[in-house]
Amino acid sequence: MMKQLVPITKILLTGGTAVWALVLHRPLSLVILMAAELLILLVSGQLLKNIKAVLMLGIFAFFLGLIEYIGGGEKEECVAAALRMMDMTLLFIYLLGTTRLQDLTASMVQQMKIPYEYAFMFTAGLRFIPDFIEENKAVAEAQACRGLAMEGNFFKKVHRYMSIVRPLMLRSLSRSETMALSLELRGFGGAHRTFMDSVSPKGADYICFLLLALITAGVIYGRVILNF
Amino acid sequence: MLTLQNVSFHYGENGPEILQNIQLNFGRGEFVAVTGRNGSGKTTITRLLTGLEKPTSGRVCYNGQDVTREDAAARSRFIGYVFQQPDRQMFMSTVREEVGFGPYQQGKRGAELDAVVDEAMHKADVFRFADEYPRTLSRGDQQRIAIASALAMHTEYIVLDEPTSGQDGREKKRLSALMSQMREAGITVILVTHDMDIVAGQCTRVIVIADHHVAFDGTPDVLFSEGRPEEWGLAYPASVRMGRSLPGAPYCKDMATFCEMYRKARGIG
Ligand SMILES: Nc1ncnc2c1ncn2[C@@H]1O[C@H](COP(=O)(O)OP(=O)(O)OP(=O)(O)O)[C@@H](O)[C@H]1O
Ligand SMILES: [Mg+2]
Repeated sequence: MMKQLVPITKILLTGGTAVWALVLHRPLSLVILMAAELLILLVSGQLLKNIKAVLMLGIFAFFLGLIEYIGGGEKEECVAAALRMMDMTLLFIYLLGTTRLQDLTASMVQQMKIPYEYAFMFTAGLRFIPDFIEENKAVAEAQACRGLAMEGNFFKKVHRYMSIVRPLMLRSLSRSETMALSLELRGFGGAHRTFMDSVSPKGADYICFLLLALITAGVIYGRVILNF
Repeated sequence: MLTLQNVSFHYGENGPEILQNIQLNFGRGEFVAVTGRNGSGKTTITRLLTGLEKPTSGRVCYNGQDVTREDAAARSRFIGYVFQQPDRQMFMSTVREEVGFGPYQQGKRGAELDAVVDEAMHKADVFRFADEYPRTLSRGDQQRIAIASALAMHTEYIVLDEPTSGQDGREKKRLSALMSQMREAGITVILVTHDMDIVAGQCTRVIVIADHHVAFDGTPDVLFSEGRPEEWGLAYPASVRMGRSLPGAPYCKDMATFCEMYRKARGIG
């Protein structure tokens, strides 16, 4: 059922958890929120599929907290900062993992009233991520075949990321040219626009909206009155 | 000797079986073609040889020593790889650095490094691009840069994945000549290709992959004169087909042989 929600619900859910994460400030509350998010990921089947991404976010959040600690932060504040980072980003995995980009665009245009050009730019920009992953894999393999043992060496990895920036740029440039051309040919920018699938909310979505509103109110109440 | 012993393979946790019980030997100095329909698993075989994939069962041996668990970096001491899309394998900012990457990893420095790099660039005829950015060169040039990169590591085996597809006649000839040169220098060339003219004209051996198995493993003349290559979606080389129309239907491995046979049949020269 977590998969059948329409994109706008997922966007709101993702945005909602980000707001809650900002509002809550005690590590325990943030941990509970994280547990809830992990549960959503698990139920929608995205947790095991994207376990690497989850771990990466975890490591990133950890370093964020560490930097703040080294910079002289309070221990509890730093833990909260790391957890907040985690809480704000975790559900993006769910959003991007269960929604097709076309639907995301359609939803942004139809319900969030974002101008089509901007929504399109956003989703076209997301295409950069798979490109990056693919390019990185190809270069990693090429380097392995030339005798570079990589296993777990952080500096070598960073060096490799540097070396794929230029090819990635070149590829994106030539691709955006092709894309511009094919958009032109297919009448991009015309007055009438139709979308392939309906992204209008249904029964389960309205229940979610209600829950989201209630939880948000609850979280704010809890924070202000009970100091969660 | 590089061998695949009873190798089976599938991608992912429980993907469909791509290869089943593959048994293959690659001897010193051979020029082996690996061919078969699109998606038959040719690239996969070469990835198993280089260590980019690990077999789900079976062993990979090098000179009798089990190297199944060795990764691609360790195996680079004896095998080099020219990818199907060579632009994807270039990652340094000049051709010279690109070619020098392998020998540098092998520990070569200074004059010794320069010497092997220059030699490899000359052999593959890419010296004039030495200071250019590899990714903006033509595919044929990139192909030869990739070959130079393997040559600079002095590997015993080199895998080329469809280097001639999409190339014009001139570039194809250059690549063919380069592959022959490597073979003469004692390097085992493993060529993945759909180009039957090269298979018949140059290769000492041809392996056909079909239905997850090795469907044929023998010399090209046996494949084209006694086998049924059309069953595996392979075309006959033009010279072989034309040779059949001559009296006595001689086997002509390339156009030069055909011309000679033709002259003989006509009683010319
Ligand atoms: N990374 C991968 N993950 C899953 N399946 C794959 C992967 N790479 C290849 N395959 C599948 O494995 C099979 C063999 O692929 P392979 O690339 O070895 O074929 P090929 O003979 O080289 O084909 P081609 O002539 O098109 O290059 C194909 O069915 C392909 O879809
Ligand atoms: Mg292939």
